[in-house]
Amino acid sequence: MGVREEQKRATRAKVLDAARDLFDHTGFEETTVRAIAEKAGVSVGSVFTTFTSKADILGQVMAERTAALTGELERVTPHLRGTACDRLSALLAIHYDFQMRRPKLYLAYLAVSFGAAHEPGFERMGTNPGLRTFVSDILQGAIDRGEMAPDIDIQLAMETIISLYGFNYMRVSDGLNAAALTGVMDRQLKQLFEGLKAQGGVNPAL
Amino acid sequence: MSPLFVELDRSEPDRRRRGEPTLNVRAPLTGANNMSFVAKPLTSPEPRTAPLTNRGLAKLRTREKILEAGRRLFTERGYEGATVRDIARAAGMSTGAVFASFADKAELFDEIVATDYRSLEAEMAEAVRNAPTIEEALLGLFGAAYRSHVHQLPMVCAAMSAGWTRHPSTAPRSREALKPIVDLIREALQQGVDRGELAANTDVRLLRGIVWEVYLSGYRAAVYEGWTADDMIRRLADQLRIILTGAKG
Repeated sequence: MGVREEQKRATRAKVLDAARDLFDHTGFEETTVRAIAEKAGVSVGSVFTTFTSKADILGQVMAERTAALTGELERVTPHLRGTACDRLSALLAIHYDFQMRRPKLYLAYLAVSFGAAHEPGFERMGTNPGLRTFVSDILQGAIDRGEMAPDIDIQLAMETIISLYGFNYMRVSDGLNAAALTGVMDRQLKQLFEGLKAQGGVNPAL
Repeated sequence: MSPLFVELDRSEPDRRRRGEPTLNVRAPLTGANNMSFVAKPLTSPEPRTAPLTNRGLAKLRTREKILEAGRRLFTERGYEGATVRDIARAAGMSTGAVFASFADKAELFDEIVATDYRSLEAEMAEAVRNAPTIEEALLGLFGAAYRSHVHQLPMVCAAMSAGWTRHPSTAPRSREALKPIVDLIREALQQGVDRGELAANTDVRLLRGIVWEVYLSGYRAAVYEGWTADDMIRRLADQLRIILTGAKG
């Protein structure tokens, strides 16, 4: 790797660290690129050689965090036990715990997620392929073990679970913390699985 | 909760506090285009519960001008992108004049969204009360909202953005404001229990939260994946099928 590449990489890391802290403490809207550059100890110009916008910086901050979380989960998920409902409950509890360590950062990400056009790399709310795969795999596992009927629509169930997981963050402004969010999610999962089990291949008349 | 459903019945006491005319501002239902976030003409309020002075009328007109300008700028620039200063300029008045009518940007935004939901309330209530089944009640209720809002996705995005970053101090206010819509969902679910469609021991509150969030997620698909109102309603029907099956009596 050339000196220039190495410098660029170091700048990138410094900017992401500074931005993550500023977004989480000060807020995304309140933080300027200038303030990020200052805290990172780099020039504003050099920030823009690596990032196209403040939203791009946020997207990459989140991508780094998601990568760290996914790595952790890849180690954990093979050891999950119990029913699919139990496993999902544990999986999502880890997510709430992780994201709620920096709640302001995560909520800013969700808000920006619904903002204007984004860089192709910006992973919008609910599109994290890692989480989608984990959830689908757990549902597939339940079918394989005979715990759930084989004709359950995994895609639909997965999308529904991820929607509930994501939109539960709206309860943070009601004062819910990670443990409370997990409690809500657990009850929602239980209710949802009642439906998935009862459906059991029979399409009830709507 | 989402500001899509905020501030539904806050207006009266607030106006009284500020010495503004107390009106029952309720837009008449005039069909689908009535729900436009963008170009909706601000109709004169009716029915009036108090006689208006000239001064009161002027204040009301100012308020309407601000709401109209706000609607346009939030649609064009998003929630964060539109400042009170911009809105004041677009409405042809000073920033101070805007703050005389609204405490802050959040309140102004909430009022715009509230107006749209007020205009849907009668249609949604009718859908619930005339529906023969719980599924049809909920699909009628949320379908009305989807069909209206799918044409106003920039405003939906602004509402979603504002929703995640809402200051905790406004949460009780927005929860209280949500009551009319939340009550309608509860009514639909309770109706299902009373008719024996849902089990007598159904946790209505839990179900209400689930149904609510699944409904909101439809907007995500509309924004990200370009879903039509019919796509959203179909998906919601599939999801309700799973959710309600677990609560069947």
